[in-house]
Amino acid sequence: MSNWVSRVVAVGMAFFGLSLLGAASADETCMSPYMAKIVGQEDFVYVWTLGAEGIGDEQDKLVTIDVNPDSKQYGKVVASLSVGGRNEAHHSGLTDDRRYLWASGLDTNKIFIFDIHTNPAKPTLDKTIDDFVKTSGGVVGPHTNYALPGRMMLTGLSNNKDHGGRTGLVEYTNNGTYITTHWMPTDEDLGGATKSGKFADGYGYDFRVLPRRNAMLTSSFTGWNNYMMNLGKMMGDGEAMKRFGNTMVVWDLHTRKPKRILDVPGAPLEIRCAWGPHNNYCFTATALTSKLWLAYEDDNGTWQAKEIADIADASKVPLPVDMSITADDQLLWVNTWNDGTTRLFDISNPHEPKEIYTEKIGEQLNMLSQSWDGKRVYYTSSLLANWDKTDGPDGDVQFFKAFTFDGKKLTPTFAIDFTAENLGSPHQMRFGARALYSTAAAASESASRLAAR
Amino acid sequence: MLAPGWSPLTFEPPVPGTYELPPLGTAADAPILTSDGTATTLHALYGDRPALLSFVYTTCPDVNGCPLATAVLAKLHRRLQRDHALRDRVTLLSLSIDPARDTPAVMRQYGAALAAPLENTSDDAASSAAGSWRFLTTASEEALAPILAAYDQAISKDYDRTGAYLGTMSHVLRVILIDRSRRIRNIYSVSFLHADTVLTDLRTILAEDDPPAKDGGAKTRHARARDDTRSTDNRETRVAHAAEAPDSGGTPSAANAVPSSLQGAGDHKAGYESRGYETRSRDLTRRQGATTDLLALAGRPPRGLPAVPVPDDNPLTATKIALGRKLFFDRRLSLNDTVSCAMCHVPEQGFANNELQTAVGIEGRTVRRNAPTIYNVGYLPRLFHDGREQTLEQQIWGPLLAVNEMGNPSVGHVIETLRGLEDYDGRFEAAFAGDGPSMLTIGAAIASYERTLVSADTPFDRWRFGDDADALGPAARRGFQLFVGKGRCASCHTIAETHALFTDGALHNTGIGYRASMTTEPATRRVQVAPGVTLDVDTASYAAASEPRSSDLGRYEITQNPADRWQYRTPTLRNVALTAPYMHDGSLATLRDVIEFYDAGGVPHEVLDPRIQPLGLDAPAIDDLVAFLESLTGANVDTLVADAFAAPVGDVGAAAILVPPSP
Repeated sequence: MSNWVSRVVAVGMAFFGLSLLGAASADETCMSPYMAKIVGQEDFVYVWTLGAEGIGDEQDKLVTIDVNPDSKQYGKVVASLSVGGRNEAHHSGLTDDRRYLWASGLDTNKIFIFDIHTNPAKPTLDKTIDDFVKTSGGVVGPHTNYALPGRMMLTGLSNNKDHGGRTGLVEYTNNGTYITTHWMPTDEDLGGATKSGKFADGYGYDFRVLPRRNAMLTSSFTGWNNYMMNLGKMMGDGEAMKRFGNTMVVWDLHTRKPKRILDVPGAPLEIRCAWGPHNNYCFTATALTSKLWLAYEDDNGTWQAKEIADIADASKVPLPVDMSITADDQLLWVNTWNDGTTRLFDISNPHEPKEIYTEKIGEQLNMLSQSWDGKRVYYTSSLLANWDKTDGPDGDVQFFKAFTFDGKKLTPTFAIDFTAENLGSPHQMRFGARALYSTAAAASESASRLAAR
Repeated sequence: MLAPGWSPLTFEPPVPGTYELPPLGTAADAPILTSDGTATTLHALYGDRPALLSFVYTTCPDVNGCPLATAVLAKLHRRLQRDHALRDRVTLLSLSIDPARDTPAVMRQYGAALAAPLENTSDDAASSAAGSWRFLTTASEEALAPILAAYDQAISKDYDRTGAYLGTMSHVLRVILIDRSRRIRNIYSVSFLHADTVLTDLRTILAEDDPPAKDGGAKTRHARARDDTRSTDNRETRVAHAAEAPDSGGTPSAANAVPSSLQGAGDHKAGYESRGYETRSRDLTRRQGATTDLLALAGRPPRGLPAVPVPDDNPLTATKIALGRKLFFDRRLSLNDTVSCAMCHVPEQGFANNELQTAVGIEGRTVRRNAPTIYNVGYLPRLFHDGREQTLEQQIWGPLLAVNEMGNPSVGHVIETLRGLEDYDGRFEAAFAGDGPSMLTIGAAIASYERTLVSADTPFDRWRFGDDADALGPAARRGFQLFVGKGRCASCHTIAETHALFTDGALHNTGIGYRASMTTEPATRRVQVAPGVTLDVDTASYAAASEPRSSDLGRYEITQNPADRWQYRTPTLRNVALTAPYMHDGSLATLRDVIEFYDAGGVPHEVLDPRIQPLGLDAPAIDDLVAFLESLTGANVDTLVADAFAAPVGDVGAAAILVPPSP
């Protein structure tokens, strides 16, 4: 196997060989399909971390953790890059060539573009986009940073007129130049879309694509007012609780036009699409109603959405958050934030998922990322600055925890207490590997770590 | 598994010209070598035709890499030759990323078989077509590097583990579509590169050069967004929202009727309690308005209002009002550029906030009270719910400096911020006889704008002060009799002989604050989680994520007099139908809830205002009172909201790219 294969297997086989351009997800099993992929041992996990008042320098930062067991630095924070301010650091995404990591702030609307290829062990801040709101025409709350060929698609959560949930998608070139804004369809301007049911709320959250079906899908959360306010205050505010999204939108990927609006009541968040060449479906989970939903193309080629499973007891506010699908479309990890539990669903029949394993990871739990082979799973704790818990056992409130998974159970390998380390509240994780950016030196150091399936 | 470009397309390609391909930047120029060794430039090769630029190297082994790109270009090449409409209009370019091995001679050989003319084309066409696919290289890696950088094409050589070059390269496959104005219009990678869709895109950009299409001028949502992007103060010349032509792109029959009034939160959650709820959402790009003459409005307030009190030291002027209006909508007036006055006092939400019971400030910090309306605020002798300020000029600094509202650390910081914003250059000096931004002028400008937001001439005003006996319907007239009679409302919400402010300007204790302070969080709370879906939620389940509740003691917090506990300012009832939810803490959702609250005698306790007593209203009486309150909406609210929509929203935008902080 040549390195071309190893890396573009990274680009190629991993997503061609396996499944012809499948879907994408939060982590290595299914990020944007147009990028190099680490199919062997990752060297680093980059953790986009919220600054917290009273913790260290109190500002948002990109934390680099060495996760390669062969490294002398294994299990250690090897770099921490503060960016200034608390921006409500939330999600991040790699460009298609995997040279840059885009990390955005839901509050201040800044987008930080980190160079992770020059020295993968020590990212640098290459650019900051600070005019996202003005340039986009009023989109607020850049959330998902999703790679498309030569460009990044950013979803918004809110707007600069009322800080409510109506919003849009914003496209940038890889070098950070604004391209265009795609507003979410509303009743006043459906943009050519049809409503499958009763809702067209114009809200946004996550973004995934199925290129083989020329489809892109979006989900819907809530506006700035809600995602920024204290969780307890919001639960008591009857008006605020009406301001959640109830839709997914299926778009034409090539033309970026909305085609069909699906009713998915209760705030559908993360979208995870299947990889298999005939698996034309994606999962989402509703945060408020605590249900797993399937958006799928039916036999007539029409996109439908249906509720397929309960996730824990909705009256205990479990808040399903991040999810991760395995590369073989057989298993789906679903985290519930409030009880700090990760849940594994057997999705071999996507219409009838079954919960087969649960494990409490900490006091609260949000993100997870798994390696391509599913053998390593990483977790972080933070949801939103003003929704996070403030109390709990040491090391169990704001953490990064690494596990191995043998197909049956998780086994802890190491953990980092982000409070004790004075870092803040860890959120989204992305993987890095030296071998992605080959130099003669790096290749000899880590060529063996990158292996095709 | 093969890339889709090797197989028939698995979906119907879009119709050319029905979608947009927004430019992705400029296609850079650079020196280049053709396959016959001629030195030329990329731009010379682009000429005045659209071009497809593909980065390849001849020894590339991955079937889904360069061979894919070349195969798709070959397929396109054949189709272009056969298509008389396109034949001479497109240039295909394959550029080597391995100049050391891919010399012009190698590229000539690589291209020879591929770009051969088709047998069935005429000689004339064949020679032209043969010239339309060019195989290119550069003199050296040094000459190639700027091209790779300009076209964002990362490559890296592959090495074995001893550090020896393997002769292969990794790169994310990219084919780039360039229009005749040398702008990049699309980028294709393995998952996207397919002859059918590339051809569709080519036809789309070629059609742009054709004479303008039939349908005349209705702007697409993209075009409106772009206009908004360029928005500056001159957007104030826009036509009113209501006058705008309907968009042809949508399918209005499928959508619910969107209310024609400008009032109400744009996501329209009315009826959300019901399973039958349907959205009636408005489009943000159509939230555009027209300016109105606010100075004239304040000079002659609508029927039912007295003259606007204007302090001697802050006379109203058009320049000052315009400046205050700009400040009111400027999000840069908060510490982290996220919160303007208008983010809580939202114009279409009654210059209050229909979406929240109590306000949310900078960084999401909790504000204990409901954002009050700005309509008719110029008449109020005391400001804030606890009445702690006396003039608008002073009041403005409260939210600007509150750590949980706009979060500015000092007066000086606000002044310096404004001095640093180019779009304020000269604006203060023009409004204040040469004075720049200062504690006084900032307050005076915003106060001047707020003072002009006078709204009346309601059905009630026309009936009561305009001798129009039919202006008020029978239910509202009965409601009025209750309002001044059995309902006791007018004892605080006063009505004078010649005008009505519907407030005595004083502070009273209704028991709402008492109840909030003296009750504890229930064990369960009914929470709405979706339209028509509620859950009885265990409140302990989210206690760890709830901040400690802080009491609100009202006027007492200012006077420290126990007798003043839980007293709050009497709000005006003008436009009250637009300003839900109600009371100082937004705890009552509807006007009916408010009337029922007073009907029950408030919340009895030691310092309850003695005017509040059980009223004994029956259901029809409550209906009539609601009808009366709903008759208090001013005739000019759409005009004032349209004026607000025309105001520019201030956001960061001078410098697109910041210099990163030094490490």
